[in-house]
Amino acid sequence: MAKRTFGTNPWTKPGSTSAPPTKVIARPRRTAEVQAYLPEFFRGMAVTMKHFFKNTKEMVLGQKPDPVIESLNDGVTTISYPEERRPYAERFRGLHRLTLRDDASPRCVACLCCSTACPAQCIHIEAGEYEEGDPRRGYERYPKTFVIDELRCVFCGFCVEACPCDAIRMDTGMHATPYDSREQFIYRKDLLMEFTGRDGSRKTANTRHEPGDPTHPGLTREQGEH
Amino acid sequence: MSLVELVLTVVKILIIVMFFLNMAALSTWADRRQGAMVQDRVGPNRAVVPLPNMVARGIVLLPPALFGVLSIFTSLGEVTGRLALERTTVNVQLAIFVTWLSLLVLCAKVRSGGAINRAERVFEDVDPRSIFFAGLGVHALGLVAMRFVTPQGAPMAAKITGFVLGAIFLIVGFYATSRVPEGPIPLRLAGTLHALADSIKMIWKEDFIPKNGDKVLHGLAPILTVFSAVVVAAVLPFGNDLCFADGNRNGTLDFSDLGNLVATVPATGQCTGFRVPLQIADLNVGILYVFAMTGTGIIGAAIAGWASDNKFALLGGLRAASQMVSYEVAMGLSLVGLFLVYSTVRMGEMSAWQGQHAWGIFVQPVGFFLFLAAVCAETKRVPFDQPEGESEIVAGYFLEYSGFKWGMFMTGEYIELVFSSALLVALFFGGYNLPFLHPDGLTVAFGDTVLFQYKMTHLAVSVISVLAFFGKTILVTWVQVFFRWTLPRFRYDQLMKLGWTKLLPLAIANMMVTAVIVVALRNAGPAAESWLKLLGDISQGLVAVLTLAGTVALVVGLLEPVERHKFLVTSSARFAAALGGVKPTAQEA
Ligand code: SF4
Ligand code: SF4
Repeated sequence: MAKRTFGTNPWTKPGSTSAPPTKVIARPRRTAEVQAYLPEFFRGMAVTMKHFFKNTKEMVLGQKPDPVIESLNDGVTTISYPEERRPYAERFRGLHRLTLRDDASPRCVACLCCSTACPAQCIHIEAGEYEEGDPRRGYERYPKTFVIDELRCVFCGFCVEACPCDAIRMDTGMHATPYDSREQFIYRKDLLMEFTGRDGSRKTANTRHEPGDPTHPGLTREQGEH
Repeated sequence: MSLVELVLTVVKILIIVMFFLNMAALSTWADRRQGAMVQDRVGPNRAVVPLPNMVARGIVLLPPALFGVLSIFTSLGEVTGRLALERTTVNVQLAIFVTWLSLLVLCAKVRSGGAINRAERVFEDVDPRSIFFAGLGVHALGLVAMRFVTPQGAPMAAKITGFVLGAIFLIVGFYATSRVPEGPIPLRLAGTLHALADSIKMIWKEDFIPKNGDKVLHGLAPILTVFSAVVVAAVLPFGNDLCFADGNRNGTLDFSDLGNLVATVPATGQCTGFRVPLQIADLNVGILYVFAMTGTGIIGAAIAGWASDNKFALLGGLRAASQMVSYEVAMGLSLVGLFLVYSTVRMGEMSAWQGQHAWGIFVQPVGFFLFLAAVCAETKRVPFDQPEGESEIVAGYFLEYSGFKWGMFMTGEYIELVFSSALLVALFFGGYNLPFLHPDGLTVAFGDTVLFQYKMTHLAVSVISVLAFFGKTILVTWVQVFFRWTLPRFRYDQLMKLGWTKLLPLAIANMMVTAVIVVALRNAGPAAESWLKLLGDISQGLVAVLTLAGTVALVVGLLEPVERHKFLVTSSARFAAALGGVKPTAQEA
């Protein structure tokens, strides 16, 4: 019988002639125990029953491991969804909302930055002028219609980044809900203004300085005359 | 057949059918639920019925109030003798049970929802486990205290304890009702409503019949399946034979005699009055009737496959038919050894024999495993579920069924499961008998040495025997469901080989060996007979000890608190931990 030289490379290991240690895995044999099926049957039943009692006990005693707070223990790791919810991360981008001013009008000035930035082109805004006599007339506009198609939205957050007045935010903590028609995914201004942030507020954390009020740092219309 | 016998039969049929239908629905749920608990999923527990507040309060109040009033009213009547003693025992034990159970529930409620008054604040620091163990201790004390009740004092004691029990029921009912929170109450019942919701859904779904299918046969097949699954239950003995005295001495059983259940029956079960077996039909062919009727189930599956005009369905039907025909043979032959030992094929006599001697599993262990395998194949459940193998032939013979016809196949399958468990109990697990429970009460005896004796009335023994039968059936069903979550499916050729080349020869060999042993023992004389009696008693003792040990181990294991260490690995886990995870309650209970 020829000397076994497999597994050795004569170029890199010229001196080695002995075969490297190979692990021989014995073919599983069909012993009488395996053929009888019953011992394995009982072993299998023991395994499933053990899991059953363990998991049942943890569920009944309310001790099942929290699937969100990771732990190295096994157990039931699914959550009962509508009752238990995974906490969303702080910066989770949920459904949009339009923030409000103190007088409950939208902060949005209809600059169209968001709809321009939107890669999915799912924001539609029609700008309108404030009424005659309103101090904001001629200084800024407001959205007559503000529509987001939440089904088209890719939740990239560019609209939030683009907005110069922090008027659109995605901090509602809500995910898109399933509806039964596409029409229901078209969110309009009223609905968007109704949503609150996760803190329950409809405003933003950034204070707003209305034109004409003394805290207003920028140019007013009076200064703008030339 | 007289009118009273007819009425009794109808009542028995109702009991059996209600049990099987309810168990079928429950085991559909239990099947999924057990799988979930084995595989670390939550499983079906979603179906919720929001109950109006008044209805919820009514549901909480009615049963305890009813039981309370019932207990007080029954205590108004006079009882004497052993019945009074028995009633006192039951009253005391029930009162203790209700007390600790409601305290336990209250304790859990206080710990999860907070106390609302000073009395409840006591429970804030109490471990629910100590309530349970204290309850067990008081149960034992109650049993000991019964020794001090004299026969003269028994009627009075029965009265007083009855009133106390009623009062406890009423207090618990009213307090629980006051604790029902405001607003609509979600009724979930651990997800059992899921089965109900499913069946309601199935009624409204479209009943689809394939265009080229056979309309008549397509409708007939599910009916045949359910029919064969239900009618087999007619020969199941589900309790002790009842014995009625002939009250008006007219020599026939009539309605007025039904109130005269005899007080006690001798240990042999001899009945001097009218004997009413708790069995719908005591056929002389007994178990052969079961074989005949399960045989018609094959037709249902085969017709379903044929009438569906679908190749997968046809394959499934073929598989079902050939599998069931093959295993019918092994199923019948594996029981012949049992017939030789019991020397009868009547189901009632088989159960009685097991009560007097030893359970079938001890006299025919090989026959038991052969029969178990064959019966699993007959019910077409895992690991023998090739007729509906999802991975190859989609759903097999009921592929083209929808709506309630599909529901009938499903119900039929689960009724068969429950029935096969009942059959296993009746043939191998002592039927309605419990170890050492004889028609005249509890007698722990090995051979001729009597260790302990406690006399009971006929009524008590009969109630216990019925409960024992249904309880054992539920337990065996539960174990059978585990097969599904444990065993992988066989290949079809393996299945056929197992049936014809393993089970069949083994069954024949078992039959021959049994025959030789039975003949040898019959001719061995009285000495061997007394030894056999002792062995039988030992087997009964073994069952009793194992059952007790298993129960204790289970309770202790389930009550032990879980030790758990938390590791927060990723940043998202840390964030979730800061928000409190998903669970409203603490991890350690
Ligand atoms: S999140 Fe992105 S896709 Fe969605 S509306 Fe904003 S910019 Fe458009
Ligand atoms: S939401 Fe912001 S970016 Fe969009 S139009 Fe209004 S102000 Fe401009």
